[in-house]
Amino acid sequence: MNKRIYLFLCLALLFFLSLPVSSSDIFPYEYKIEELDNGLKIVSIPLPENPHIISYYTVVRSGSRNEVEPGKSGFAHFFEHMMFKGTKTVPREVYDDFLTELGAGTNGYTTDDSTFYFVVFAGRENLEKVVRTEADRFMNLYYDEEMLKTEAQVIEGEYYASVSSPFRRLYELMRDTAFEKHSYKHTVLGYLEDILDMPNQFEYSQLYKKRFYAPDNIILLVVGDYDHTQLMDYVRKYYSSWERSEYTLVTPVEPPQTKAKTAHYDWPSRTLPRLAIGYHGPSYSDEDKDLAALDLLAQIAFSQSSPLVQKLVIDEQKCLNIYASFPDRRDPYLISFFATLRKEEDMDTIRDEIFTELERMKTELVSESLLTEIKSNIKYSFANSLATTDGIAGSLVHYINLTTDPGTINKLFQLYETITPQDIQDMAKKYFRNENSTVVTLKGGDSQ
Amino acid sequence: MKKKRNQILIGCMILCAFLILGSCAKKNPDKIKAELLPLENNPLVTFRILFNIGSAHDPSGKEGLCQLTWSMLSQGGSQDMTYKEIIKKFYPMATQVGLRVDKEMSVFTGQVHVDNLEGFYLIFKSMLLDPGFREEDFIRLKTNQLDYLDKTLVSNQDEQFGKEILNLMMYKGHPYGHNEAGTLEGLKTISLEDVKEFYQSHFLQGNVTIGLAGGFQNTFLNKVRDDFSALPEGYTPLLNLPELRMPDGLEFVIAEKQTPATAISMGFPVTISKADDDFFALWVAGSHFGEHRQHLSLLFQKIREERGQNYGDYAYVEHFFQGRGKFPATNYCRQQQYFSIWIRPLANSNRHFVIRQALRELKKLLEEGISEERFELTRKYLLNYTKLYAQTLGERLGWKMDSKYYGYKDFLAEVQIRLPKLTHEDVNKAIQKYLNMENLHIAVITQDGEALKNALIANTPSPITYANPDMPEEILNEDLMIQTFPLDIKVDKVHIAAASDFFQKEGLPPQDE
Repeated sequence: MNKRIYLFLCLALLFFLSLPVSSSDIFPYEYKIEELDNGLKIVSIPLPENPHIISYYTVVRSGSRNEVEPGKSGFAHFFEHMMFKGTKTVPREVYDDFLTELGAGTNGYTTDDSTFYFVVFAGRENLEKVVRTEADRFMNLYYDEEMLKTEAQVIEGEYYASVSSPFRRLYELMRDTAFEKHSYKHTVLGYLEDILDMPNQFEYSQLYKKRFYAPDNIILLVVGDYDHTQLMDYVRKYYSSWERSEYTLVTPVEPPQTKAKTAHYDWPSRTLPRLAIGYHGPSYSDEDKDLAALDLLAQIAFSQSSPLVQKLVIDEQKCLNIYASFPDRRDPYLISFFATLRKEEDMDTIRDEIFTELERMKTELVSESLLTEIKSNIKYSFANSLATTDGIAGSLVHYINLTTDPGTINKLFQLYETITPQDIQDMAKKYFRNENSTVVTLKGGDSQ
Repeated sequence: MKKKRNQILIGCMILCAFLILGSCAKKNPDKIKAELLPLENNPLVTFRILFNIGSAHDPSGKEGLCQLTWSMLSQGGSQDMTYKEIIKKFYPMATQVGLRVDKEMSVFTGQVHVDNLEGFYLIFKSMLLDPGFREEDFIRLKTNQLDYLDKTLVSNQDEQFGKEILNLMMYKGHPYGHNEAGTLEGLKTISLEDVKEFYQSHFLQGNVTIGLAGGFQNTFLNKVRDDFSALPEGYTPLLNLPELRMPDGLEFVIAEKQTPATAISMGFPVTISKADDDFFALWVAGSHFGEHRQHLSLLFQKIREERGQNYGDYAYVEHFFQGRGKFPATNYCRQQQYFSIWIRPLANSNRHFVIRQALRELKKLLEEGISEERFELTRKYLLNYTKLYAQTLGERLGWKMDSKYYGYKDFLAEVQIRLPKLTHEDVNKAIQKYLNMENLHIAVITQDGEALKNALIANTPSPITYANPDMPEEILNEDLMIQTFPLDIKVDKVHIAAASDFFQKEGLPPQDE
């Protein structure tokens, strides 16, 4: 047999572990958790059988949720940009060249609860260089006021890149209307007025770094082709001198919503009309049934195979799409339903159809067989996401940020298994109350 | 040991099946082809059913027919099942059928856990081989396509809109010259009978490459081969494309709409593709000048990093579609390619300056070439970065397929052989041979197009201001040169049209009065 093909087949045999969608553990990989004296946590999943690739993630547990002060919306995202400015020993140009020579897939992204940085690269011989350089970047970031002012304009440019999206506007309006106090009121990008003021925020940026870019607020996740002991030697060598922050963030408590809210936006040019209905829901938990039951409910009522979506999208063709959105968040967040309509005149009808479906969830128990199908879908969906080294890392960082413990994945999926039709109904009654609702609409115009 | 021997034996059997399929295709273009990537014990199986048919095969006056026909397969019912029933069956398996249509190529995709392989394949096969062609699916999917062109593309996606205008400019009167979704006028004339006829005349064995990767068994492969071999024999010859039309000077099309930001795309056709030896040298030049969403990109460094003008600025030496992460997607192979620059949206007040800046950088690239140091850096980057290209099963299959299209056994392996042999001079020669800055198409989406037109023609100085009052002197000095950088733009080469008038018919909309 051709040597290369033989080698390939052998590697292929070794490459994938069978994913145990039928076992009790949805996340099949062994992981190691370590913590340095300064509070830096390391989650490590060595997969030496997976040749070449290493995914190196730095999870900063600070996102737009941390923007609790007025005028600071969008700052977590802005700071993510500043993190690419280099240090005194490794200036930006040198850092860029380092990543370029490495041929790494690299970037950062900010969410409501966290900011993630990743370097995906080939070759375990490069691991020490990556650990050293990333440690230096996070511990010794340096930029001056001029650099900050220039980067602030990039944020404005990023805002412009999405300015033609009506969904962005709908989403902004939903959060701004539904929340009163909590920092989830604004989106990750922030309010335009705050973006325009970012050039003046040099001092605050230093404070932000001191508070949140510290080892006791950060987790490293490393997955791929390396030796764990070797990794830890490097991590101890390069991260141990980093000092804790000891800062404790207090996020404002969102008061209970006491009356139904509505908001509307007129999009100036032609677009398909859009509708969003949101309810305040629970925060992420792998113990309380609320989130797990609502996750399943969202699928039962609004997946592509649900009766309502099939009726409105396929039979009556009144909507281009309808779907539910209930992202995991550290603090209580919204469970929302979005629809893109064909015609403006159907707006009230579609809104009422969604309300009716949610009422039905309160009065009728879903069948066990349907619940089984939903549980099957979420298990296979998750299993599919673990197909590559970076897929494993990308899936895991989300959960690590929420609880700092990868074990939460298996706990959550075990919790899904315990959810009954009665739990679904109970949660529908608990959360889908009229006074807890926010309805946001967007309609197109005729201007060019 | 026995298990290992059996695994190797199974691998060999699959390899033999592959060789048989491959040799059939070589001998007879009417027959089906296959690309296989068997991975024993892999829990997933990925399908890529590739067609060498795309929107360039749309009949004149029926633009959008290819995409609509293939959508009827991927998002419509089969003869035995309605689309609703298919969705319900797929749901517990967490799977679906995907579709991507390009100019000369389309691909149907699906991925499923091996637990569900038989159940998925039975439906997938019926969707492609026994489509239902129901009137209600036709109406739904045709409406989707019409809405995309009429409402979404021109009003909600300015970055993509700019790239599509560039396509209209480059390929006027050419089979590539319309969006894959078609034109509003063409789509409206398409009937369900047209769809059935297109399917019958193009869904032929010789047009299909079956791509399979993951944990499938040899018996399964035989079944797939037998099923698809039931398709009519025959193939559609490669399109005989007209000669490329280079722009005559700097040709502008301005799509006018109310917007706080300006989106810009520019480019021109090139007579080179991955199949050519020179490609590797030009690719290094393109990567140095504008690697997609990487700090390596010179344009990114000059426009975004130094001046904070926008979110990013990139250049490409062939058609680029972003796949997973920032990596190039596969199965967008074309006979004819183009060079392009993508300027992401920026404040309207700075549009003239940045157009000048991008063209000035292109001029410098032509005049000065790439430095030895940058050449080495870029080459090293590509040698390493391409190792990350093919990670998922779909990506690995896609690269195998693309390799074959361009005449390589394995393009990514070829990169590791060719790039080390490249010289600095090779790259600079390729820049001179294939690039230019005098003749470009430039698409601009902005407001008050007449003011921009007048400023462009008059070469009005275009200074910019910064939030940072202490910009480095070297940048400010360079700005003085950029803001008066002369561009030779003729009055009849600036075409302004309302954004809402695009994609109504084939070609560009008429000039605003």
